[in-house]
Amino acid sequence: MLTTGTYFDGISSIPRHIELCLEHLPEPVIAFLLTDEVRTKWSIDEIRIEHLGNSLEIRHKTDKLAFIKVTDETFIQELIDYLSKTGKIGWYHKLLHMGMKAYIAIAICILAGIVGGYLVFIPWVAEKAVLIIPEKYDAILADKYLTQYMIDNEIDSAKSLILNKFASQLKLENSKPLHFTVLKSTVANAYALPNGNIIVYTGLLDLMTDYNELACLIGHEVIHVNNRHSMKMLCRNLSGYIFISVMLSDVNGIMAIIADNAHNLQSLSYSRKFEQEADEQGTKLMINNNINPLGMTLLFSRLKSQNKAAVPAFISTHPMTNNRIDDINNLIKNTKHKSLYNSQLKELFSQLKANN
Amino acid sequence: METEITDVQSYKLDFNGKGSTFFGIVVLNWLLTAITLSFYYPWAKAKQLQYLYSSTSLNGDNFSFHGTGKEMFKGYIKALGLFIFIYGLTLLAVYLEEPIIGGIFFYFAIICIIPVAIHGSYRYRFSRTSWRGIRFGYRGDRTELFVNYFKWIFLTIITLGIYGSWMEISLRKYLISNIRIGDIEFKYKGKGGEYFVLNLVGGLLTLVTLGIYSFWYYKKVFAYYVDNMSLYKEGREIKFKSILTAGDIFKVGMINFLIIIFTLGLGYAWAVTRSLNLIFSKIELEGSIDLNSIQQTEADYNDATGEDISDFLNIDLVF
Repeated sequence: MLTTGTYFDGISSIPRHIELCLEHLPEPVIAFLLTDEVRTKWSIDEIRIEHLGNSLEIRHKTDKLAFIKVTDETFIQELIDYLSKTGKIGWYHKLLHMGMKAYIAIAICILAGIVGGYLVFIPWVAEKAVLIIPEKYDAILADKYLTQYMIDNEIDSAKSLILNKFASQLKLENSKPLHFTVLKSTVANAYALPNGNIIVYTGLLDLMTDYNELACLIGHEVIHVNNRHSMKMLCRNLSGYIFISVMLSDVNGIMAIIADNAHNLQSLSYSRKFEQEADEQGTKLMINNNINPLGMTLLFSRLKSQNKAAVPAFISTHPMTNNRIDDINNLIKNTKHKSLYNSQLKELFSQLKANN
Repeated sequence: METEITDVQSYKLDFNGKGSTFFGIVVLNWLLTAITLSFYYPWAKAKQLQYLYSSTSLNGDNFSFHGTGKEMFKGYIKALGLFIFIYGLTLLAVYLEEPIIGGIFFYFAIICIIPVAIHGSYRYRFSRTSWRGIRFGYRGDRTELFVNYFKWIFLTIITLGIYGSWMEISLRKYLISNIRIGDIEFKYKGKGGEYFVLNLVGGLLTLVTLGIYSFWYYKKVFAYYVDNMSLYKEGREIKFKSILTAGDIFKVGMINFLIIIFTLGLGYAWAVTRSLNLIFSKIELEGSIDLNSIQQTEADYNDATGEDISDFLNIDLVF
């Protein structure tokens, strides 16, 4: 079929009107006549087409700049049909013309895959990864935290000594050496660092009235250390972030913000899972030490009834939801326990509470 | 300066890309990039640029991007190697407990790379762009840019950032005046002082109006980039003029924002095509250069390393 088009020769920008047609014999070519010149033939094997809206650009593979522009719809369709039939249209081109429904379906699948991977696969991988990381790296993590945070608070060395004696009375099944530090503060807080260092603020000690509460607190914190919760948290955060960045490598600004915030929410919820683990296993650990597990419940309810403004830190990272209290109570009900009075622990506890 | 006002020509810039078509390309890119764990990215970028360029037309003829995924992949690997090297040396310094030296080296290395990356990126992008078969080109000299860049950064640092406006305009002027379309030259006549005042006033007013003025601020900055640009060939000129209003920016920007939020990012393709549509429809050209008379003058250049370094550093093309 004969049609007209515009030819640009790649030497100047002058458009030249030409007549061209698709010939099949002796060989499939695009043949065209430049005015006053010999007929030029471009073999079908050597052309590349670009179909945009209502025009088609035909380029030669070796001479990349000269090209023919055609706007005749019938000719364009004829050429494309011929190229499809002879298998010259690539897989990409075919994929590109699948239609809107297919695209939306693919996009939703990708989104679902990413969300699924992020919520399910990544946490699993992260936990396995922690097994590869040697435990001594947990110490490096802790050192960073120590230098940052501890400068603000004053250590009570006398009480720290007593607390260490207190803890050594218990069988804590600890995976690494533990060291307890008491910090002078009105804040009621306690946390475990990954290197086995457990910090307790005097504000929290003030709230307690019974040595069993302190023992249960220690049990809870030790589980954080034994189960390497900090390192798992870090791996999980990092892997989630890396996963999202890799999957959406051209994440534009807004998507990045959405991903970031969703990520933070996830982190928070994950830390609650660790808290539950610490509650449960910590209580069991104390039961094994013949400590009264109700110490845990007592401590929780005390904290809950405290004014939130006065005890912000402990409450925010360890939300005292009723769920947690109920879970502990259920566990206590369903586990055989026998608590024995321990005079040494009682003595050490009163020393800790002394001169306030 | 001789400007012949006779035989004034008409020019029209258009963007005809459709969100739905672009969406197809973007989705395929996401799929293939995800499956290949990011390795497909250079090809994805090539496809996107090809579509966007060919959807842009001047007087009915489309622009064309000839860059290939393969070229950009090679550059990508080289850029990756370079960054690993720099990070490696920095980490080595930290390991040897000389973090300060490591830090200084790191920033110094990045400052060194940036002008090299910009140069490479411009050379690659423009040599891979054509219109009516005429190649674009970038004639800047890498060493010249490198030396100037250091000078500008130094001045910006010792003036605590105030020189930044002058630096941006100097950089823009250098880059733009080295761009060619065949034998047409680009010119940029902005002044650092004017730009500084524009930013100072704009920034203050935006602060005072709690952000509301920002739309007018962007409009002014856009106009400052566009209105100072011109094309020049054998005594004839084409001047650019921006007719973008603050209202346009607000309308398109707001709706784009809502599109992206409510589609959880899937509407990205439409946001891009809408923005480009707006930008190109608000640039007017006026002058007397005959677009039939452009001659092919620019050379081929297929090293995409600079392009990929710029990608890593998130440097946006200053154009």
